[in-house]
Amino acid sequence: MRARIVVPARNESASLPQLLAELAAVCPLADVLVVDDASTDETAALLRSAGVPHLRLRLPVGVGGAMRAGLRAARRDGYDAAVRLDGDGQHPPAAIAPLLAELRRGADAVQARRDPTGYRAGAGRRALAAFVRAWLAGPLGRRAADPTSGLWAFGPRALALLSEEHPRGYPEPALLLLLERRGLRVAEIPVAMRARSAGHSSLTLPRAALALWCVALSTATMPRRRPAALSHG
Amino acid sequence: MGSLVQLFAVAISAALLFVVIGLVRRRRLTEEYSFLWIVFALALLGLSLFRGVLDAVARWLGIFYPPAVLLLMLIFFVFIASLYFSVVISRQRQQIERLVEDHAILEREVAALRDASVTRGSAGSPPGPPSSANAAESGS
Repeated sequence: MRARIVVPARNESASLPQLLAELAAVCPLADVLVVDDASTDETAALLRSAGVPHLRLRLPVGVGGAMRAGLRAARRDGYDAAVRLDGDGQHPPAAIAPLLAELRRGADAVQARRDPTGYRAGAGRRALAAFVRAWLAGPLGRRAADPTSGLWAFGPRALALLSEEHPRGYPEPALLLLLERRGLRVAEIPVAMRARSAGHSSLTLPRAALALWCVALSTATMPRRRPAALSHG
Repeated sequence: MGSLVQLFAVAISAALLFVVIGLVRRRRLTEEYSFLWIVFALALLGLSLFRGVLDAVARWLGIFYPPAVLLLMLIFFVFIASLYFSVVISRQRQQIERLVEDHAILEREVAALRDASVTRGSAGSPPGPPSSANAAESGS
C-alpha cells in the first residue's frame, strides 16, 4: 500500500517548517503533498523553496475542497492510500504509522480520536464537539468517539470516493457519516494531539456558530443513496 | 382602479420588458435566465392592461383593492427569482471549486512534464516555448 500524506494548509507559513521537518523524519518528503488553499501569507514561497510536492489552489475552496484536490492528485500519481495531516501542527506525524497499520487490518478509513493524555481544547471548543457528537448520533446510529477530529487515513475505497466527492465547510462529521452511509468500514484509534504550533485557527466564534449550523444541516440531509453527479449545465 | 395607477403599472411593466429584451440583445443576459423575467413582465403587462382580469383575481382572493394583487405578484416573483438565483449561485460555486482544484492538479503535472523534458536535454524539440523554464518553476 502506497500512502500519500496530504497536508491541507491555509496561511500556515509559521507552523509548516517544523511540521515538514518532523514529517521528513518519518517518511520520504516525496510522499507528502501539501495543498496550499490560496494562502495569502508566505506559504507558497516557503513550499517552493522547501522543494516539497504541493498543489497551489488559486482561490480558497476550504479544507474539504483542498482534500478532494489532494486525494485526486494522489490517485493520479498512483497512490492507493492517503493520510490527512493538518498544516497547523496539531496532528503528530508519529500517528501516520499506526493509522496505516489500522488500514492494513482491513479498515477502509481510520479516524484518530483525541487521546485525553494529549492537548485539550478550550471549554468552548469542547462544548461544540460534544454537541456535534450528540447530534451525529442520530443519523449515524451510534455515538462516534470524536467526529470532529481531522486526522484521518483513507484506504483505496475511501480514496476513490473522496477524490470525487468530499464534504465541504467543516467536513469531518459529514465525512464520517458519508463513509458509513456508503458502506465503508471506519475504524478509530486514539492519538495524543498537540496544540497548534503557531498561527490562528480559522474557527473563530461567529464562524463556529455558522459551522455548527452547516454540520447539522449537512449530516441531517445526507442522502442514503448515491446522488446525481454534479451537473455541468 | 384609478387610471393613474393603471397607467403607472403599464409603464413599469413595459419598461421592465424593454430592459430585459435589451439585455438579451446585447448578450448581457443569457436566454436561460431571461425566460423568468420575460414571462413575468408579460404577465404584469397583461394584468395592467386588462383590469377585468385583475378585478376578478382580486374578488376571488378577497382582496378589496385590486392593484394590491400586482404587489402580491411582485413579491411572489421576487421570492421565486431570488431562490432560483441562490440555486444557480450554489451550482456555480461548486463548478468553480472543481475547476480551481483541477487547475492546481494539472498545473503541477504540466510543471513536472516540463521539468522532465528539460532534463532530457536539448535533443528533440521541447514542447514549450524557450521561456517555459520560468513558468514551470513558478508552477511547481
